[in-house]
Amino acid sequence: MIAVEQAAHTSADSVENVGEFSHDADAPVLRLGEVPLRRTVELVRIDLPTDTMVPLLERGIVPGCRMCPLRQSPSGDPILLVDGVVLALRREMAECLRVRDIAPDAD
Amino acid sequence: MSSECGVATTDARVESGSVRSGSVLVALVGPPNSGKSTLFNQLTGLRQKVANYPGVTVEKRLGHARLPDGREVGVVDLPGVHGFAARSLDERVAKDVLEGRAPDMPAPDGVILVVDSTRLEPQLMLVEPVLELGLPTLLVLNMTDELERRGGGVDADALAERLGVEVVRANARAGVGLDRIRAFLANVASGAVAAPVAAGGVGTADAAAHAATVEGSAAAADSMTAADSTTAANPVAASDAGVATSPSRPRRIELPVLDTYVDRRGRIRRIGQQARYTPPAPSWLTERLDAIFLHKVWGPLIFFVVVALVFQAIFAWAAPLMDGIEALVEVSGAWLSDRLPDNWFRSLLIDGVWMGVGSVIVFLPQILILFLFLGILEDSGYMARAAVIADRMMYKVGLQGRAFLPLLSGYACAVPAIMAARTVEDERDRLATIFVVPFMTCSARLPVYTLLIAAFIPDRPLLGPFFGARAATLLGLYLLGAVAAVGTAFLLKRTLLRGESTTFLMELPPYRLPTLRSLAIRLLDRARIFLRRVGRVILTVTVVLWALTQFPRVDGQAPEVDDSALGRIGHVIEPVIEPLGFDWRIGVGIISSLAAREVIVGTLGTIYGIEEATETSTELRDRLRRDLDMGSGIALMVFFAFALQCISTIAVARRETGGWKWPAIQWAYMLTLAVIGAFIANRIF
Ligand SMILES: Nc1nc2c(ncn2[C@@H]2O[C@H](COP(=O)(O)OP(=O)(O)OP(=O)(O)O)[C@@H](O)[C@H]2O)c(=O)[nH]1
Ligand SMILES: [Mg+2]
Repeated sequence: MIAVEQAAHTSADSVENVGEFSHDADAPVLRLGEVPLRRTVELVRIDLPTDTMVPLLERGIVPGCRMCPLRQSPSGDPILLVDGVVLALRREMAECLRVRDIAPDAD
Repeated sequence: MSSECGVATTDARVESGSVRSGSVLVALVGPPNSGKSTLFNQLTGLRQKVANYPGVTVEKRLGHARLPDGREVGVVDLPGVHGFAARSLDERVAKDVLEGRAPDMPAPDGVILVVDSTRLEPQLMLVEPVLELGLPTLLVLNMTDELERRGGGVDADALAERLGVEVVRANARAGVGLDRIRAFLANVASGAVAAPVAAGGVGTADAAAHAATVEGSAAAADSMTAADSTTAANPVAASDAGVATSPSRPRRIELPVLDTYVDRRGRIRRIGQQARYTPPAPSWLTERLDAIFLHKVWGPLIFFVVVALVFQAIFAWAAPLMDGIEALVEVSGAWLSDRLPDNWFRSLLIDGVWMGVGSVIVFLPQILILFLFLGILEDSGYMARAAVIADRMMYKVGLQGRAFLPLLSGYACAVPAIMAARTVEDERDRLATIFVVPFMTCSARLPVYTLLIAAFIPDRPLLGPFFGARAATLLGLYLLGAVAAVGTAFLLKRTLLRGESTTFLMELPPYRLPTLRSLAIRLLDRARIFLRRVGRVILTVTVVLWALTQFPRVDGQAPEVDDSALGRIGHVIEPVIEPLGFDWRIGVGIISSLAAREVIVGTLGTIYGIEEATETSTELRDRLRRDLDMGSGIALMVFFAFALQCISTIAVARRETGGWKWPAIQWAYMLTLAVIGAFIANRIF
């Protein structure tokens, strides 16, 4: 949790690597839906058409930022903590967000 | 929008200044729920609606702020936006005003960007697009009270230096920081603020040019950072160094959109660091409350219990107040009646107006209880959670969760609710939402329902003393409306408005304690609206109805109501509505309530008032009970649950859909459903 709060996250490094994540990923890439609650992960890719993706991007949710599933809504949709914002989305969208664990030695 | 635009707008200021007799215009921009309307109210003294969920304001609103030196500055409150992609109508409203393309408003001369400092970084994503407008800009870091309480912090001066605009820390709710905001308004009015230089390489090709301009103009920033050699000279140079090896290196072109935002996010993050931004700890209270309210079992259960209690309160708490008003109407009517000579004027005033208007005013307490409850839900932040809980069902129906907020505000009134559908991005979804909103039980139905329930449903306890048969019936009627809305949306999305369900994103704001002031203002405003409606619509209708009961004259006297013009009209339509169990009086009531639903109560009050001017009892429900049976009573409730009896709703639906087609379909469909529903109800009960 505390790590999430320091949430800053698009390190210059990962910005540099936009679009080229696969080769430097040390951790396996998961779907956001597979991440257990309260585990902080890094967004690596958004598999959505551009116009569906823009609402995420406008909120500063871009590859390289960190997020943490906080809880599930009664209907089983994820509620995330991203950059200090509690954000609810549908699980269909969470399936399209590719993330990976943050390496334990990061930061 | 390049910097040329800034020049153009500065010129336009002079012109618009003369048009608006020396007044300048400053726009409030910012992400949803950042406190723009709160600030607007503080500056202008107006009462724009404020609530703790994103997307409350959907239309621009103009006000005037009086400066200490007596000058006035126009201030326009805008819908919240995350960016200028303008996918939804409310976003387009904001964008049009900012770009000077709003038909009824000159281009603004300055911008106040209001952001929520408790989530500063994502909110700053809007800084670059706003700066690109090229207008004098003030950045307001709002909600610093919450930021500090939760242990966060930010160096506003450093931020100002990085961004090249003035930055003010504020607490719009308490009025902290207003002095400096007014000073900014004054400076804009005197033309003393320079337009900022856009701080970002947002476009791709002219990024280097932007960088150069900022470089030249940010001498102050340069000198400061000269001491700190690890920090780059200014945000743009810094970010460019981070993104690319040289500012002139071309951006990747295969992912232009993504790239733009990733770059921007990177710059903002650096700026955040340079301004020593410390994010606040998560709100402990919000975590605890969400654990309960969003719990799989407790969440929906608590919601149901709260709603049941409110419906019970509408009957139980309101009863003494209603009795009080009823007595007041009766006593004052009798008092007046004793003092007036027995002529046509007394008949109009007492039997017509007093009975008609009085029978509606009685329902004010119930409406206020409903609004108190809605106000608490909206101001506390619970509404955003309710939208999340409802989203899955909306999804199955084919609507997106954003449509939930308009549907919910339909419980107050369909008119603002239909406008609130502007936040729904997809056009087909927006039409479907507008179509089904009038099924939601608006507060104008409440007088009709409670009158009929009091007349026909026995007051029996159902679940202990806390939930009686009457409250249950009311709850059932609300559910009936909601089910009709959902079912209709389902049909529409499979026929006329076929289309995929789009995305749903919902920020959940922290829970906040609703302030007494804000609740009081809501109730006062609502009382005023209600009384104005009674004063205009109901007064007019009762006068017309009274006039219709006075003709044709019999021996110079008013006829029996049955033989009057009104009675004859009633008897003509009686055969049509008889299968539903209604008599001619109800028929007249239904026709008159085309103006507004609660008018039927006034109409019945007038008809019975004139018919039995001699009787002492004014209890409308006793007379209804005498004339109709329970089946007819329930049929009438069902009729009102479905029928689109409201001119204002039809007018706003026409405006928001741009033609008569949708309101016409809507009206016919709802009437059909109402007639079928009432017929079935009359058969069953
Ligand atoms: N603690 C705190 N709360 C605030 C402050 N300013 C506004 N609020 C609350 O924040 C919520 C949102 O305020 P609004 O003024 O409706 O926000 P808005 O930016 O107009 O929102 P939209 O119209 O949806 O874009 C309300 O619950 C306000 O009471 C502040 O400075 N401090
Ligand atoms: Mg607002």
